[in-house]
Amino acid sequence: MMLQMENLIKEYDERRVLDIGEVTIGAGALCGIIGPNGSGKSTLLNIIAGLMKPTSGSLLYGDERKPAAPYRDMTLVFQAPYLIRTTVWKNIAYPLKLRGWDSKQIEERVGELAEDLGLTPFLKQKGWKLSGGEMQKVALARALSFRPKLLLLDEPTANVDPSTTAEIEKMLGKINGQDKTTIVVVTHDLIQARRMCGEIVLLDKGKVIEHGKTEEMLKAPRHESTKRFLAGELLT
Amino acid sequence: MTLKRKKIWIAKQDTEYWKGMAMDQIAIGFRDAVELLMTGDKELYGIVGLSLMVSLSSVAISTLIGVPFGAVIGTHNFPMKNALLRIIYTFMSLPPVIAGLVVFLLIMRRGPFGSWGLTYTPAAMIIAQVCLVVPIITGLTYNIVRDKAPRVKALAVTLGAGKIDSLKLLIFDLRIGILAAIVTGLGRALSEVGAVMIVGGNIKGKTRVMTTYIAQLKSMGDYSTAIAVGIVLLILAFLINTFLYNVQQKVE
Repeated sequence: MMLQMENLIKEYDERRVLDIGEVTIGAGALCGIIGPNGSGKSTLLNIIAGLMKPTSGSLLYGDERKPAAPYRDMTLVFQAPYLIRTTVWKNIAYPLKLRGWDSKQIEERVGELAEDLGLTPFLKQKGWKLSGGEMQKVALARALSFRPKLLLLDEPTANVDPSTTAEIEKMLGKINGQDKTTIVVVTHDLIQARRMCGEIVLLDKGKVIEHGKTEEMLKAPRHESTKRFLAGELLT
Repeated sequence: MTLKRKKIWIAKQDTEYWKGMAMDQIAIGFRDAVELLMTGDKELYGIVGLSLMVSLSSVAISTLIGVPFGAVIGTHNFPMKNALLRIIYTFMSLPPVIAGLVVFLLIMRRGPFGSWGLTYTPAAMIIAQVCLVVPIITGLTYNIVRDKAPRVKALAVTLGAGKIDSLKLLIFDLRIGILAAIVTGLGRALSEVGAVMIVGGNIKGKTRVMTTYIAQLKSMGDYSTAIAVGIVLLILAFLINTFLYNVQQKVE
Protein backbone atom coordinates (compact mmCIF):
# COMPACT_ATOMS: atom_id res chain seq x y z
CA MET A 1 0.00 0.00 0.00
CA MET A 2 1.45 3.35 -1.04
CA LEU A 3 1.37 6.28 1.40
CA GLN A 4 1.23 9.86 0.16
CA MET A 5 1.50 12.76 2.59
CA GLU A 6 1.05 16.35 1.57
CA ASN A 7 1.35 19.39 3.82
CA LEU A 8 0.56 17.38 6.94
CA ILE A 9 0.47 19.69 9.92
CA LYS A 10 -0.18 18.90 13.57
CA GLU A 11 -0.50 21.64 16.16
CA TYR A 12 -1.09 21.54 19.92
CA ASP A 13 -2.31 24.84 21.33
CA GLU A 14 -0.82 26.73 18.38
CA ARG A 15 2.51 24.92 18.88
CA ARG A 16 3.43 23.21 15.62
CA VAL A 17 4.86 19.76 16.31
CA LEU A 18 4.69 18.38 12.79
CA ASP A 19 4.97 20.04 9.41
CA ILE A 20 5.52 17.58 6.60
CA GLY A 21 5.79 18.89 3.05
CA GLU A 22 5.53 16.08 0.53
CA VAL A 23 6.49 12.54 1.34
CA THR A 24 5.60 9.43 -0.63
CA ILE A 25 6.36 5.97 0.67
CA GLY A 26 6.01 3.50 -2.14
CA ALA A 27 4.07 0.22 -1.99
CA GLY A 28 6.28 -2.59 -0.67
CA ALA A 29 8.85 -0.21 0.85
CA LEU A 30 10.53 -0.77 4.19
CA CYS A 31 10.87 2.78 5.40
CA GLY A 32 12.50 3.95 8.60
CA ILE A 33 11.51 7.19 10.29
CA ILE A 34 14.45 8.42 12.31
CA GLY A 35 15.23 11.53 14.26
CA PRO A 36 16.11 12.78 17.72
CA ASN A 37 13.68 12.73 20.65
CA GLY A 38 10.79 15.13 20.15
CA SER A 39 11.29 15.31 16.40
CA GLY A 40 7.70 14.19 15.73
CA LYS A 41 8.36 10.57 14.74
CA SER A 42 5.65 9.04 16.91
CA THR A 43 3.20 11.84 16.09
CA LEU A 44 3.66 11.12 12.39
CA LEU A 45 3.21 7.38 12.96
CA ASN A 46 0.06 7.92 15.03
CA ILE A 47 -1.36 10.15 12.30
CA ILE A 48 -0.62 7.52 9.66
CA ALA A 49 -2.18 4.91 11.97
CA GLY A 50 -5.30 7.06 12.29
CA LEU A 51 -5.00 7.30 16.09
CA MET A 52 -4.42 11.04 15.81
CA LYS A 53 -5.98 13.57 13.46
CA PRO A 54 -3.74 16.06 11.65
CA THR A 55 -4.60 19.74 12.03
CA SER A 56 -4.48 20.05 8.24
CA GLY A 57 -3.06 18.39 5.15
CA SER A 58 -3.79 15.25 3.23
CA LEU A 59 -2.80 11.64 3.61
CA LEU A 60 -3.58 9.03 0.99
CA TYR A 61 -3.56 5.28 1.61
CA GLY A 62 -3.14 3.85 -1.87
CA ASP A 63 -5.80 5.75 -3.77
CA GLU A 64 -8.07 6.32 -0.79
CA ARG A 65 -8.17 9.43 1.35
CA LYS A 66 -9.68 7.66 4.34
CA PRO A 67 -10.29 3.93 3.96
CA ALA A 68 -13.75 2.79 5.06
CA ALA A 69 -12.24 0.13 7.31
CA PRO A 70 -8.59 1.22 7.64
CA TYR A 71 -7.53 -1.53 10.02
CA ARG A 72 -8.70 -4.31 7.74
CA ASP A 73 -5.45 -3.85 5.84
CA MET A 74 -3.09 -2.05 8.20
CA THR A 75 -2.02 -2.26 11.80
CA LEU A 76 0.33 -0.75 14.34
CA VAL A 77 2.73 -2.42 16.76
CA PHE A 78 3.30 -0.28 19.85
CA GLN A 79 6.64 0.27 21.55
CA ALA A 80 5.32 -1.25 24.78
CA PRO A 81 3.38 -4.33 23.70
CA TYR A 82 -0.06 -4.79 25.20
CA LEU A 83 -1.23 -8.37 25.27
CA ILE A 84 -4.81 -9.39 25.92
CA ARG A 85 -5.13 -11.19 29.27
CA THR A 86 -5.29 -14.64 27.78
CA THR A 87 -2.97 -17.19 26.17
CA VAL A 88 -0.39 -16.42 23.50
CA TRP A 89 -2.37 -18.53 21.03
CA LYS A 90 -5.56 -16.53 21.60
CA ASN A 91 -3.65 -13.27 21.30
CA ILE A 92 -2.31 -14.20 17.87
CA ALA A 93 -5.67 -15.61 16.79
CA TYR A 94 -7.69 -12.55 17.89
CA PRO A 95 -7.46 -10.49 14.64
CA LEU A 96 -8.27 -13.61 12.62
CA LYS A 97 -11.41 -14.29 14.66
CA LEU A 98 -12.45 -10.68 14.07
CA ARG A 99 -12.10 -11.31 10.35
CA GLY A 100 -14.16 -14.48 10.47
CA TRP A 101 -11.42 -16.97 9.58
CA ASP A 102 -12.43 -20.58 10.23
CA SER A 103 -10.75 -22.54 13.02
CA LYS A 104 -8.59 -24.65 10.68
CA GLN A 105 -7.20 -21.57 8.92
CA ILE A 106 -6.57 -19.90 12.29
CA GLU A 107 -4.78 -22.99 13.61
CA GLU A 108 -2.51 -23.10 10.56
CA ARG A 109 -1.69 -19.38 10.54
CA VAL A 110 -0.99 -19.20 14.29
CA GLY A 111 1.24 -22.28 14.06
CA GLU A 112 3.12 -20.83 11.09
CA LEU A 113 3.79 -17.47 12.80
CA ALA A 114 4.73 -19.12 16.10
CA GLU A 115 7.22 -21.28 14.23
CA ASP A 116 8.76 -18.29 12.44
CA LEU A 117 9.14 -16.25 15.62
CA GLY A 118 10.12 -19.09 17.96
CA LEU A 119 6.90 -18.82 19.94
CA THR A 120 5.70 -22.43 19.62
CA PRO A 121 6.70 -23.41 23.21
CA PHE A 122 4.77 -20.42 24.60
CA LEU A 123 1.46 -20.82 22.73
CA LYS A 124 -0.46 -22.15 25.74
CA GLN A 125 1.14 -19.73 28.21
CA LYS A 126 -0.55 -16.63 29.57
CA GLY A 127 0.69 -13.60 27.66
CA TRP A 128 1.48 -11.48 30.71
CA LYS A 129 3.83 -14.11 32.11
CA LEU A 130 6.30 -13.75 29.21
CA SER A 131 9.44 -11.64 29.10
CA GLY A 132 9.44 -8.24 27.36
CA GLY A 133 11.09 -9.63 24.22
CA GLU A 134 8.70 -12.56 23.98
CA MET A 135 5.75 -10.22 24.47
CA GLN A 136 6.99 -8.02 21.64
CA LYS A 137 7.27 -11.07 19.38
CA VAL A 138 3.69 -12.07 20.26
CA ALA A 139 2.53 -8.53 19.46
CA LEU A 140 4.34 -8.75 16.11
CA ALA A 141 2.88 -12.18 15.33
CA ARG A 142 -0.60 -10.86 16.18
CA ALA A 143 -0.08 -7.85 13.90
CA LEU A 144 1.15 -10.04 11.04
CA SER A 145 -1.53 -12.70 11.45
CA PHE A 146 -4.00 -11.22 8.94
CA ARG A 147 -1.27 -10.29 6.41
CA PRO A 148 -1.69 -6.50 6.55
CA LYS A 149 -0.74 -4.48 3.48
CA LEU A 150 0.68 -1.72 5.67
CA LEU A 151 2.52 -2.44 8.92
CA LEU A 152 3.47 0.41 11.24
CA LEU A 153 5.92 -0.14 14.09
CA ASP A 154 6.80 2.30 16.86
CA GLU A 155 10.33 1.48 18.08
CA PRO A 156 9.58 -2.26 18.15
CA THR A 157 12.98 -3.26 19.50
CA ALA A 158 13.52 -0.44 21.99
CA ASN A 159 13.10 -2.69 25.03
CA VAL A 160 14.34 -6.05 23.79
CA ASP A 161 17.67 -7.90 23.81
CA PRO A 162 19.95 -8.16 20.73
CA SER A 163 18.95 -11.72 19.79
CA THR A 164 15.22 -10.84 19.88
CA THR A 165 16.00 -7.68 17.91
CA ALA A 166 17.68 -9.84 15.26
CA GLU A 167 14.68 -12.21 15.13
CA ILE A 168 12.24 -9.30 14.75
CA GLU A 169 14.35 -7.65 12.04
CA LYS A 170 14.64 -10.97 10.18
CA MET A 171 10.87 -11.45 10.33
CA LEU A 172 10.20 -7.91 9.08
CA GLY A 173 12.62 -8.43 6.20
CA LYS A 174 10.93 -11.72 5.36
CA ILE A 175 7.36 -10.41 5.19
CA ASN A 176 8.53 -7.30 3.33
CA GLY A 177 10.25 -9.51 0.75
CA GLN A 178 7.66 -12.29 0.48
CA ASP A 179 4.33 -10.56 0.98
CA LYS A 180 5.42 -7.12 -0.32
CA THR A 181 4.02 -5.60 2.86
CA THR A 182 4.74 -1.89 3.17
CA ILE A 183 6.50 -1.35 6.50
CA VAL A 184 7.04 1.97 8.25
CA VAL A 185 9.20 1.69 11.33
CA VAL A 186 10.04 4.45 13.78
CA THR A 187 13.46 3.99 15.30
CA HIS A 188 16.09 6.11 16.98
CA ASP A 189 18.72 3.52 16.14
CA LEU A 190 20.57 4.60 13.02
CA ILE A 191 22.46 1.31 12.74
CA GLN A 192 19.21 -0.61 12.86
CA ALA A 193 17.71 1.66 10.21
CA ARG A 194 20.73 0.99 8.02
CA ARG A 195 20.40 -2.78 8.53
CA MET A 196 16.69 -2.97 7.86
CA CYS A 197 15.37 -0.10 5.83
CA GLY A 198 15.53 0.52 2.12
CA GLU A 199 14.64 4.16 2.64
CA ILE A 200 14.82 6.64 5.48
CA VAL A 201 12.89 9.74 6.46
CA LEU A 202 14.91 11.96 8.80
CA LEU A 203 12.79 14.23 10.95
CA ASP A 204 13.84 17.10 13.14
CA LYS A 205 11.60 19.54 15.00
CA GLY A 206 8.62 18.15 13.13
CA LYS A 207 10.04 18.75 9.66
CA VAL A 208 11.45 16.33 7.11
CA ILE A 209 15.15 17.06 6.86
CA GLU A 210 15.88 14.44 4.27
CA HIS A 211 14.13 11.49 2.63
CA GLY A 212 15.83 9.01 0.38
CA LYS A 213 17.42 5.63 -0.17
CA THR A 214 19.27 4.54 2.96
CA GLU A 215 22.67 3.88 1.38
CA GLU A 216 22.64 7.06 -0.69
CA MET A 217 21.63 9.14 2.29
CA LEU A 218 24.23 7.64 4.55
CA LYS A 219 27.02 7.91 1.99
CA ALA A 220 26.23 11.37 0.69
CA PRO A 221 23.86 13.28 2.93
CA ARG A 222 22.56 16.38 1.22
CA HIS A 223 21.60 18.33 4.26
CA GLU A 224 23.87 19.75 6.95
CA SER A 225 21.57 18.52 9.76
CA THR A 226 21.69 14.99 8.31
CA LYS A 227 25.49 15.06 8.39
CA ARG A 228 25.44 16.19 12.01
CA PHE A 229 22.82 13.58 12.99
CA LEU A 230 24.79 10.82 11.27
CA ALA A 231 27.90 12.01 13.06
CA GLY A 232 26.05 11.48 16.33
CA GLU A 233 25.66 15.15 17.15
CA LEU A 234 22.64 16.43 18.99
CA LEU A 235 20.38 18.41 16.70
CA THR A 236 19.35 21.58 18.47
CA MET B 1 -23.44 -1.50 102.46
CA THR B 2 -24.83 1.89 101.60
CA LEU B 3 -27.79 2.15 99.25
CA LYS B 4 -25.65 3.73 96.52
CA ARG B 5 -23.04 0.95 96.69
CA LYS B 6 -25.81 -1.67 96.72
CA LYS B 7 -27.28 -0.20 93.52
CA ILE B 8 -23.86 -0.26 91.85
CA TRP B 9 -23.39 -3.91 92.91
CA ILE B 10 -26.80 -4.87 91.50
CA ALA B 11 -26.11 -3.06 88.22
CA LYS B 12 -22.78 -4.86 87.93
CA GLN B 13 -24.41 -8.23 88.55
CA ASP B 14 -27.06 -7.34 85.99
CA THR B 15 -24.44 -6.46 83.35
CA GLU B 16 -22.57 -9.70 84.02
CA TYR B 17 -25.86 -11.63 83.73
CA TRP B 18 -26.70 -10.09 80.32
CA LYS B 19 -23.14 -10.61 79.06
CA GLY B 20 -23.49 -14.26 79.94
CA MET B 21 -26.91 -14.38 78.34
CA ALA B 22 -25.60 -12.89 75.07
CA MET B 23 -22.76 -15.40 74.90
CA ASP B 24 -25.25 -18.19 75.61
CA GLN B 25 -27.52 -16.98 72.81
CA ILE B 26 -24.63 -16.95 70.31
CA ALA B 27 -23.56 -20.46 71.41
CA ILE B 28 -27.15 -21.73 71.14
CA GLY B 29 -27.37 -19.97 67.76
CA PHE B 30 -24.39 -21.98 66.45
CA ARG B 31 -25.95 -25.23 67.70
CA ASP B 32 -29.33 -24.32 66.21
CA ALA B 33 -27.73 -23.35 62.89
CA VAL B 34 -26.21 -26.81 62.56
CA GLU B 35 -29.48 -28.39 63.62
CA LEU B 36 -31.53 -26.31 61.18
CA LEU B 37 -29.24 -27.23 58.32
CA MET B 38 -29.03 -30.91 59.23
CA THR B 39 -32.74 -31.45 59.84
CA GLY B 40 -33.70 -29.87 56.53
CA ASP B 41 -36.07 -27.31 58.05
CA LYS B 42 -38.50 -26.63 55.20
CA GLU B 43 -39.23 -23.06 56.20
CA LEU B 44 -35.54 -22.21 56.44
CA TYR B 45 -34.75 -23.79 53.07
CA GLY B 46 -37.63 -21.83 51.53
CA ILE B 47 -36.23 -18.60 52.97
CA VAL B 48 -32.68 -19.46 51.85
CA GLY B 49 -33.94 -20.30 48.36
CA LEU B 50 -35.86 -17.03 48.05
CA SER B 51 -32.88 -15.04 49.38
CA LEU B 52 -30.64 -16.61 46.79
CA MET B 53 -33.15 -16.14 44.00
CA VAL B 54 -33.70 -12.45 44.80
CA SER B 55 -30.02 -11.61 45.35
CA LEU B 56 -28.64 -13.56 42.39
CA SER B 57 -31.35 -12.27 40.03
CA SER B 58 -30.78 -8.67 41.06
CA VAL B 59 -27.00 -9.04 40.69
CA ALA B 60 -27.37 -10.71 37.27
CA ILE B 61 -29.65 -7.91 36.03
CA SER B 62 -27.39 -5.25 37.57
CA THR B 63 -24.34 -6.82 35.89
CA LEU B 64 -26.04 -6.70 32.49
CA ILE B 65 -26.83 -3.01 33.02
CA GLY B 66 -23.87 -1.82 35.11
CA VAL B 67 -20.90 -3.40 33.32
CA PRO B 68 -21.62 -2.05 29.78
CA PHE B 69 -22.79 1.27 31.27
CA GLY B 70 -19.58 1.66 33.33
CA ALA B 71 -17.46 0.61 30.35
CA VAL B 72 -19.15 3.13 28.04
CA ILE B 73 -18.72 5.97 30.57
CA GLY B 74 -15.09 4.98 31.05
CA THR B 75 -14.30 5.02 27.35
CA HIS B 76 -16.24 8.09 26.18
CA ASN B 77 -16.21 11.78 26.89
CA PHE B 78 -19.52 13.62 26.74
CA PRO B 79 -21.14 16.72 28.23
CA MET B 80 -22.19 16.42 31.88
CA LYS B 81 -19.99 13.33 32.38
CA ASN B 82 -18.65 14.63 35.70
CA ALA B 83 -22.15 15.38 36.93
CA LEU B 84 -23.25 11.86 35.96
CA LEU B 85 -20.28 10.36 37.80
CA ARG B 86 -21.10 12.32 40.94
CA ILE B 87 -24.67 11.03 40.80
CA ILE B 88 -23.42 7.44 40.36
CA TYR B 89 -21.00 7.80 43.28
CA THR B 90 -23.80 9.23 45.44
CA PHE B 91 -26.09 6.35 44.51
CA MET B 92 -23.33 3.87 45.42
CA SER B 93 -24.07 4.77 49.03
CA LEU B 94 -27.82 5.09 48.57
CA PRO B 95 -29.58 4.15 51.84
CA PRO B 96 -31.61 0.97 51.15
CA VAL B 97 -34.70 2.32 52.92
CA ILE B 98 -34.81 5.25 50.48
CA ALA B 99 -34.50 2.91 47.49
CA GLY B 100 -37.20 0.70 49.00
CA LEU B 101 -39.49 3.63 49.69
CA VAL B 102 -39.17 5.06 46.16
CA VAL B 103 -39.75 1.67 44.54
CA PHE B 104 -42.70 1.08 46.86
CA LEU B 105 -44.26 4.45 45.94
CA LEU B 106 -43.86 3.63 42.26
CA ILE B 107 -45.37 0.15 42.45
CA MET B 108 -48.01 0.66 45.16
CA ARG B 109 -51.59 0.16 44.04
CA ARG B 110 -52.18 3.90 43.56
CA GLY B 111 -48.67 4.50 42.12
CA PRO B 112 -47.76 4.93 38.43
CA PHE B 113 -47.02 1.20 38.05
CA GLY B 114 -49.72 0.04 40.45
CA SER B 115 -51.56 -1.86 37.72
CA TRP B 116 -48.60 -4.24 37.39
CA GLY B 117 -49.48 -5.78 40.78
CA LEU B 118 -45.90 -5.91 42.02
CA THR B 119 -46.48 -4.85 45.63
CA TYR B 120 -45.16 -7.38 48.16
CA THR B 121 -43.75 -9.72 45.52
CA PRO B 122 -40.22 -11.09 44.97
CA ALA B 123 -40.17 -9.11 41.69
CA ALA B 124 -40.51 -5.87 43.66
CA MET B 125 -37.66 -6.98 45.92
CA ILE B 126 -35.47 -7.65 42.86
CA ILE B 127 -36.29 -4.18 41.43
CA ALA B 128 -35.37 -2.52 44.73
CA GLN B 129 -32.07 -4.41 44.91
CA VAL B 130 -31.26 -3.62 41.28
CA CYS B 131 -31.60 0.09 42.20
CA LEU B 132 -28.99 -0.45 44.91
CA VAL B 133 -26.57 -2.72 43.04
CA VAL B 134 -26.48 -1.06 39.58
CA PRO B 135 -24.67 2.09 40.84
CA ILE B 136 -22.10 -0.06 42.67
CA ILE B 137 -21.26 -2.21 39.63
CA THR B 138 -21.36 0.82 37.28
CA GLY B 139 -19.11 2.96 39.48
CA LEU B 140 -16.56 0.22 40.14
CA THR B 141 -16.51 -0.85 36.48
CA TYR B 142 -15.97 2.77 35.44
CA ASN B 143 -12.96 3.04 37.77
CA ILE B 144 -11.43 -0.16 36.44
CA VAL B 145 -12.04 0.75 32.79
CA ARG B 146 -10.93 4.41 33.01
CA ASP B 147 -7.25 3.63 33.52
CA LYS B 148 -6.80 0.82 31.05
CA ALA B 149 -9.33 1.76 28.40
CA PRO B 150 -7.09 3.95 26.19
CA ARG B 151 -4.53 1.18 25.66
CA VAL B 152 -7.04 -1.62 25.16
CA LYS B 153 -9.13 0.54 22.85
CA ALA B 154 -6.09 1.55 20.77
CA LEU B 155 -5.08 -2.11 20.52
CA ALA B 156 -8.57 -3.23 19.53
CA VAL B 157 -8.88 -0.50 16.90
CA THR B 158 -5.47 -1.21 15.36
CA LEU B 159 -6.31 -4.90 15.11
CA GLY B 160 -9.48 -4.13 13.20
CA ALA B 161 -12.16 -4.30 15.91
CA GLY B 162 -15.31 -2.21 15.52
CA LYS B 163 -16.97 -0.34 18.38
CA ILE B 164 -18.87 -3.34 19.76
CA ASP B 165 -15.85 -5.67 19.45
CA SER B 166 -13.66 -3.04 21.19
CA LEU B 167 -16.11 -2.88 24.08
CA LYS B 168 -16.28 -6.67 24.26
CA LEU B 169 -12.47 -6.89 24.32
CA LEU B 170 -12.30 -4.25 27.03
CA ILE B 171 -14.77 -6.13 29.25
CA PHE B 172 -13.01 -9.44 28.55
CA ASP B 173 -9.59 -8.01 29.31
CA LEU B 174 -10.69 -6.39 32.56
CA ARG B 175 -12.87 -9.31 33.65
CA ILE B 176 -10.99 -9.94 36.91
CA GLY B 177 -11.61 -6.40 38.15
CA ILE B 178 -15.19 -6.51 36.88
CA LEU B 179 -15.74 -9.78 38.74
CA ALA B 180 -14.59 -8.03 41.92
CA ALA B 181 -17.18 -5.31 41.23
CA ILE B 182 -19.88 -7.98 40.84
CA VAL B 183 -18.82 -9.67 44.11
CA THR B 184 -19.12 -6.30 45.87
CA GLY B 185 -22.61 -5.88 44.39
CA LEU B 186 -23.54 -9.37 45.54
CA GLY B 187 -22.39 -8.53 49.06
CA ARG B 188 -24.71 -5.53 49.06
CA ALA B 189 -27.65 -7.59 47.74
CA LEU B 190 -27.21 -10.47 50.19
CA SER B 191 -26.85 -8.29 53.26
CA GLU B 192 -29.54 -5.75 52.38
CA VAL B 193 -32.63 -5.61 54.62
CA GLY B 194 -34.25 -2.15 54.49
CA ALA B 195 -35.39 -2.10 50.86
CA VAL B 196 -36.67 -5.69 50.71
CA MET B 197 -38.51 -5.19 54.00
CA ILE B 198 -40.38 -2.15 52.60
CA VAL B 199 -41.28 -3.52 49.18
CA GLY B 200 -41.55 -7.20 50.14
CA GLY B 201 -43.22 -6.88 53.51
CA ASN B 202 -41.52 -10.01 54.99
CA ILE B 203 -44.57 -12.17 54.24
CA LYS B 204 -44.09 -15.76 55.43
CA GLY B 205 -43.69 -18.16 52.54
CA LYS B 206 -43.91 -15.37 49.96
CA THR B 207 -41.41 -12.57 50.46
CA ARG B 208 -39.54 -13.57 53.60
CA VAL B 209 -35.78 -13.61 53.08
CA MET B 210 -32.99 -14.28 55.55
CA THR B 211 -32.24 -10.66 56.48
CA THR B 212 -35.88 -9.70 57.05
CA TYR B 213 -36.39 -12.96 58.99
CA ILE B 214 -33.44 -12.11 61.26
CA ALA B 215 -34.90 -8.65 61.90
CA GLN B 216 -38.26 -10.21 62.76
CA LEU B 217 -36.75 -12.88 65.04
CA LYS B 218 -34.84 -10.17 66.89
CA SER B 219 -37.98 -8.15 67.49
CA MET B 220 -39.65 -11.32 68.80
CA GLY B 221 -36.76 -11.90 71.19
CA ASP B 222 -35.79 -15.22 69.53
CA TYR B 223 -32.09 -14.39 69.48
CA SER B 224 -30.72 -17.91 69.08
CA THR B 225 -32.75 -18.59 65.89
CA ALA B 226 -31.78 -15.14 64.59
CA ILE B 227 -28.12 -16.02 65.14
CA ALA B 228 -28.68 -19.42 63.49
CA VAL B 229 -30.20 -17.83 60.36
CA GLY B 230 -27.36 -15.25 60.40
CA ILE B 231 -24.81 -18.07 60.40
CA VAL B 232 -26.57 -19.74 57.48
CA LEU B 233 -26.43 -16.40 55.64
CA LEU B 234 -22.71 -16.13 56.35
CA ILE B 235 -22.10 -19.69 55.13
CA LEU B 236 -23.96 -18.88 51.91
CA ALA B 237 -21.97 -15.69 51.37
CA PHE B 238 -18.78 -17.66 52.02
CA LEU B 239 -19.71 -20.37 49.50
CA ILE B 240 -20.65 -17.87 46.76
CA ASN B 241 -17.50 -15.82 47.32
CA THR B 242 -15.36 -18.96 47.34
CA PHE B 243 -16.84 -19.96 43.99
CA LEU B 244 -16.20 -16.50 42.50
CA TYR B 245 -12.69 -16.42 43.99
CA ASN B 246 -11.94 -19.77 42.33
CA VAL B 247 -13.21 -18.44 39.00
CA GLN B 248 -10.90 -15.44 39.44
CA GLN B 249 -7.93 -17.68 40.26
CA LYS B 250 -8.65 -19.84 37.22
CA VAL B 251 -8.61 -16.78 34.98
CA GLU B 252 -5.34 -15.63 36.56
